[in-house]
Amino acid sequence: MAASPANVTGTGLMEGVTDHINREVVESLAADEPQWLRDRRLEAWSLYERTPMPTTRLEEWRYTNLSRKLKLEELVPLPWEERSFSPESAPARLKDAMARDREASGRLVEIDGSVAWVELAEEAASKGVILTSLRKAVESHPQILEELLATEALPANLGKFQALSAALWTDGVLLYVPKGVRLENPVRVTRWTSQAGRALFSRTLIVAEGASQVSFVDECVSEDLDAQTLASTGVEVFARDGAQVQFVSLQRMGKGPFHLSQQRTLAGRDSTLDTLNVGLGATTARVDLNAQLRGPGANSDMLGLYFGDGDQHFDFNTSQDHVAPNAKSDLLYKGALDGKAQSVFRGVIKVHRGAQGTDAYQTNRNLLLSERARADSLPNLEIEADDVRCSHGATVGQLDQNHLFYLMSRGISRNVAERLVVMGFLGEVLSRLPLGGVVEKVTEIIDEKLHG
Amino acid sequence: MAEWIRIAGIEDCRENGCLHATTGNGEEIVVVRWEGEFFALEDRCSHQDFPLSDGEVMDGTLECVFHGARFDIRTGDAVQLPAIRPVRTFPVEVRGDDIFVQVE
Amino acid sequence: MPQNEVVEGLDLDQYKYHFITEDEPVFRSGRGLNEKVVREISAQKDEPEWMLNFRLKALEIYNKKPMPTWGGDLSKLESVLDEIYFYVRPQDKMERSWDDVPPNIKETFERLGIPEAEQKVLAGVGAQYESEMVYHSLKEEWEKKGVIFDSIEDGLKNHPELFREHFGTVIPSADNKFSAMNSAVWSGGSFVYIPPGVELDTPLQAYFRVNQEQMGQFERTLIIADEGSKAHYIEGCTAPMYSTESFHSGVIEIVVKPGAHFRYTTIQNWSNNMYNLVTQRAMVHENATMEWLDGNLGSKLTMKYPSCYLVGEGAHGSVLSIAYSGDGQHQDTGGKVIHAAPNTTSQIVSKSISKGTGRSTYRGLCQVHEGSVNSKSNVECDALLINETSRTDTYPYIEIEEKKSNIGHEATVSKVGDEQLFYLMSRGMNEEEAMALIVRGFIEPIAKLLPLEYAVELNRLIELEMEGSVG
Repeated sequence: MAASPANVTGTGLMEGVTDHINREVVESLAADEPQWLRDRRLEAWSLYERTPMPTTRLEEWRYTNLSRKLKLEELVPLPWEERSFSPESAPARLKDAMARDREASGRLVEIDGSVAWVELAEEAASKGVILTSLRKAVESHPQILEELLATEALPANLGKFQALSAALWTDGVLLYVPKGVRLENPVRVTRWTSQAGRALFSRTLIVAEGASQVSFVDECVSEDLDAQTLASTGVEVFARDGAQVQFVSLQRMGKGPFHLSQQRTLAGRDSTLDTLNVGLGATTARVDLNAQLRGPGANSDMLGLYFGDGDQHFDFNTSQDHVAPNAKSDLLYKGALDGKAQSVFRGVIKVHRGAQGTDAYQTNRNLLLSERARADSLPNLEIEADDVRCSHGATVGQLDQNHLFYLMSRGISRNVAERLVVMGFLGEVLSRLPLGGVVEKVTEIIDEKLHG
Repeated sequence: MAEWIRIAGIEDCRENGCLHATTGNGEEIVVVRWEGEFFALEDRCSHQDFPLSDGEVMDGTLECVFHGARFDIRTGDAVQLPAIRPVRTFPVEVRGDDIFVQVE
Repeated sequence: MPQNEVVEGLDLDQYKYHFITEDEPVFRSGRGLNEKVVREISAQKDEPEWMLNFRLKALEIYNKKPMPTWGGDLSKLESVLDEIYFYVRPQDKMERSWDDVPPNIKETFERLGIPEAEQKVLAGVGAQYESEMVYHSLKEEWEKKGVIFDSIEDGLKNHPELFREHFGTVIPSADNKFSAMNSAVWSGGSFVYIPPGVELDTPLQAYFRVNQEQMGQFERTLIIADEGSKAHYIEGCTAPMYSTESFHSGVIEIVVKPGAHFRYTTIQNWSNNMYNLVTQRAMVHENATMEWLDGNLGSKLTMKYPSCYLVGEGAHGSVLSIAYSGDGQHQDTGGKVIHAAPNTTSQIVSKSISKGTGRSTYRGLCQVHEGSVNSKSNVECDALLINETSRTDTYPYIEIEEKKSNIGHEATVSKVGDEQLFYLMSRGMNEEEAMALIVRGFIEPIAKLLPLEYAVELNRLIELEMEGSVG
């Protein structure tokens, strides 16, 4: 389970402590920070040291062998740096990503783990919306961070990498939407990674107060990187009572990196907290998403879409954590795998004792497009209340031959027909979260990938 | 490009035993010594990816200690459930006191 | 009346197999598991040396393997095992005539309805009491056709080559902690051989009874269904209820040769103090069919996942599973299908009912190896929850390496709907009848695959659960 405390032993294991990733780095990061943050980092670091490195003998890491996929000893953490950004001089791929975006309530650009540029629509700012670099927020909004950063949602004791993120984060995003404020357009964050051989740790904290409304699109972009690189993001989303939040993660890094995204969403009473995880890039991409339905009447749509080729490896580890009664969650993850790509979907619906009236659904569908592709699916249910409606389904198969033949009989070439069928298959996910610009962007990227 | 790499000395491996070795390019190998001959297989059981080098050599086979799967040390074929798929094998040469394997 | 009250009385207290037979075994090992016990068992059976060595090696493996940390709660098992008698020999020799079975044992099986069933509907019957088969018989017409249906010990004695060729090949000792334990101390169980082309039109049945307190039963069954043969084997299990725990760990190995069709049915109704940890696996060759029909109603904890290794092209495997977990029970069951050849097909259907503090877990594996083109597998799991204290889990593992395959898994969890109940009651049923009807309807897809007599028996068991449910 994503939310269970890590197996912490008393012995100083020191696994994953290297020449470059060690206590000194944490101490130097914390040097000028307030006491509470310093303590929090060092405590997280101690947990990291004492927590064993996950192996494939752990259920959650059964299909992703970290000892093969991630060589921590070869990585050097990126420090925080003052960076500047101008859309004109940005690298082509970053520029292109931003150019394809539509209107936004706010924009933020993070380059190699440090926020370089923030822009917030005046209207939003005037209503008290906060969009800022997380590092700056340590000084400007300490009370929010002290209360919510790596405490309730994604604390260090959730696991080895949650601890590492809480200890080593350099920067990230704070988005705060006050009570009743509704933002018409999404807040768009673009992250750029350009330095191979480095490890970067970023965090995102989103707080949507009661009855507010906000959408957040987080896009992760990079060139192909020739040495291994770790891009780690920790995401904490609070939807307070009656809030409506949409969180979209669009991961389209180049080849090479290991992308690790750890997300926890906490949905309050009668809130809506929807997520969409799109996995297209990186060589290895792992997403841990724990959606906790903590208030009665809460509702989470959890969508995922992935398309892998080459030797890409995607691992989605999701949890629908029903604590409160009468809440609803509905998960749909669909993926297509070409080349030697491999996907893992491990999802659990957990209905706690007393969470009566739960509606929870979970569907994972996979298309294998090549002989060497592989899909593993583990849709789990753990139900401890009886008045529930729960179901899950998983399928793995090839392209629907009937659809293909139908299209070909209408004079469409096989190649194009295959693309259309794949798009139709994946498109179902996008149609459930029709967020401005995202659908078009994802469609284009998949189309480019299908053209190979 | 295939190349020969020294992975162990012949004294490292006892008769009718096996040992774990790496090639330096991430390949995990189990070296088997059986009736005076040396063999090299991928050190990963095709059943659940456990290392074969913890296992036991018997009758020209290597038995995985974790679930009892067995592999032919010459061909890598699975000869005992719960494994069905073969494991990879590598050409071996003994040069003097050293064991070399050929890897891609 | 609230549903909870309606179902309050639906417990297993009315376990009809609770009766203790007074008797004195002719031999009993000391408590606990050690090399001495293993050597004693082997000596009692007058075994060839290779078997003693097989047992001793298995004991070594058992001692090295850690207790599983997944599945059910095994935290108290080690202390239970220290107190258990691993071998209890009830009589000197196995009988082939019912009249020769000692009266107290005979009476036990008569109360369980065995001889009656044999006359009416069975091709052969075996009965195990404590650690040994006390009775084994096969109808003459099948014996003439070369069918072998014997105790596992007689299989080893009378058919040493056939036995050694297959024994321990489907489930090696090292497969898991309990297959290692069974391999060390196995005793009783059946040896079955169906010659090529022979089709048995009525089932073979083996009946397993544990009578003594703190007793461990370790039956070992080896079945070879030769090419083009067809047969159905049924096992039933009961024991009296004691306040201490008992232990049962079987290993069932089945080889289904090309074109053969084999069905293995278990109606497990151990008393609720029994740990039941069983490994069942079939190797299924070209165009052969293996069907596991697994009914788990009794025991304190069952961990059991019948498997089909589809190693020949066109092989088919199915696992149909019913689990009932009442107060304090945990049924951790499911099935595994491994597609290792082209055009193989499989199906798993699991239905579970959890009541009171009962917990039902489905745990399964569907694996398709690269090259197993045109494989199809379909898994369906439905869980019914009766009370708010009941629990159900579903843990399927789906591992697909072949593009040209079609794999589906679905699971649902629901409670007995008030609407359903009210509807049936509006048709003149009382709540008790309505509940029984709903539960029967729920398991019907599997129950209908049983021979009529067993379907009736299963339905009767379910009705028993529902009896007195209206206060």
